[in-house]
Amino acid sequence: MSKAHDMGGRIDSRRIDITSNDVKFKADWEKEVFAITLALGFSSLWNLDRSRYARESLEPKDYLQFGYFEKWLAGLINLLGENGIIKGGTESEDNSKKRSFRVLEAKNVKKLLNMGGPTKRESTTGKKFNLGETVSVRGNNSNTKVDKGHTRLPDYVKGRTGKVIAYHGSHVFPDTNAHFLGENPEALYSVEFKVQDLWDKYEYFEDTVVVDLWESYLEKFK
Amino acid sequence: MKKDNFKQFYKEFPSNPDARVKALKSILEKEGLIDQKALDEILDTYQNKVGPLNGAKIVAKAWTNKKFKEDLINNTDQVLKDMDLNGRQGEHVVVVENTETVHNLIVCTLCSCYPWPLLGLPPSWYKSDAYRSRAVREPRAVLSDFNVKLPISKKVKVWDSTSEIRYLVLPQQPPDSKEFSENELVSWVTRDSMIGTGFPKPPTGE
Repeated sequence: MSKAHDMGGRIDSRRIDITSNDVKFKADWEKEVFAITLALGFSSLWNLDRSRYARESLEPKDYLQFGYFEKWLAGLINLLGENGIIKGGTESEDNSKKRSFRVLEAKNVKKLLNMGGPTKRESTTGKKFNLGETVSVRGNNSNTKVDKGHTRLPDYVKGRTGKVIAYHGSHVFPDTNAHFLGENPEALYSVEFKVQDLWDKYEYFEDTVVVDLWESYLEKFK
Repeated sequence: MKKDNFKQFYKEFPSNPDARVKALKSILEKEGLIDQKALDEILDTYQNKVGPLNGAKIVAKAWTNKKFKEDLINNTDQVLKDMDLNGRQGEHVVVVENTETVHNLIVCTLCSCYPWPLLGLPPSWYKSDAYRSRAVREPRAVLSDFNVKLPISKKVKVWDSTSEIRYLVLPQQPPDSKEFSENELVSWVTRDSMIGTGFPKPPTGE
């Protein structure tokens, strides 16, 4: 069974509520969560993959019930907890991590937001697949190093066959980076799947779905 | 196999989100780990400075300038960098062009990845479970929720943003907009047309 956050293709009969067009925040607490989460993202204590893993690791019933920024808030608290910054709903006595914590200053905000966090790296491994090549996605989408660990391989494409339509160079590998096991950059591809290779029932046979997949998610087509 | 599970520290905080963030913030302030001015600056950036107007400018330019369009599609990151439109959640961008035969639609099924520097923060529906679940399985039904009907001659190509590549749809220019200048065309480009859930349309209320 796929994890709560891995939603692609899940049967959902709800209409898209297009009146929920708001991009502004619904309440002041959402603004606080957004700004604090971004600011603490520059603390150097974790990375983007870790913070995604923190949100995915919330109790499944909370993941499904929480609004978007409630997930951010709970994930952030867990990240601070594992770094010993907080303890039992209050600050912790442990100062070891606080010393390496980089506090974001107003004067650096623009520069750091403009810089972002590029994930493309010089290729050290080369690439195994060519444009136009048919490839298979491996049959198991569990993290191979960490029990129930982070992955960006969606459940709905595991074991499926598609065609490589783009190569993006080497990118940081989320499955290890989320667990502080190194960036281990790998070739990243866009793989196009025909809908009839994904779903029993589909709308129109010519439609396709493109998914970005790292090399170790893929196998030679046999 | 290695284990690396989170302890659920959030349960030790008040469950009401407003009270929860207040409790967290007071700890962070006490410890000197946040600077209120930096928080204000972040909010000002995403509430007032960054939004779909950035993407619309690029689209209007691509419609009216062939050379720019080629560069934009083939050398996207450099073009955006030169225009100061790269940055957080837009570090690596791919522009996908709608044509007579292909209609592109963007989703992130695993979270809610979205090209912030070009479109701002995502609307609520983009982050909804329904959109994330359905866009890859029944994109045409999803589009009809947006009152978008596509002829069967157009293939729908759904892009699931599973990596740090962010996608922007380059919509087709409406035939009745051809006489307008680049500047005027900017207001034809809707946010949804750059996600694939809408089309460009004449500006209203001017």
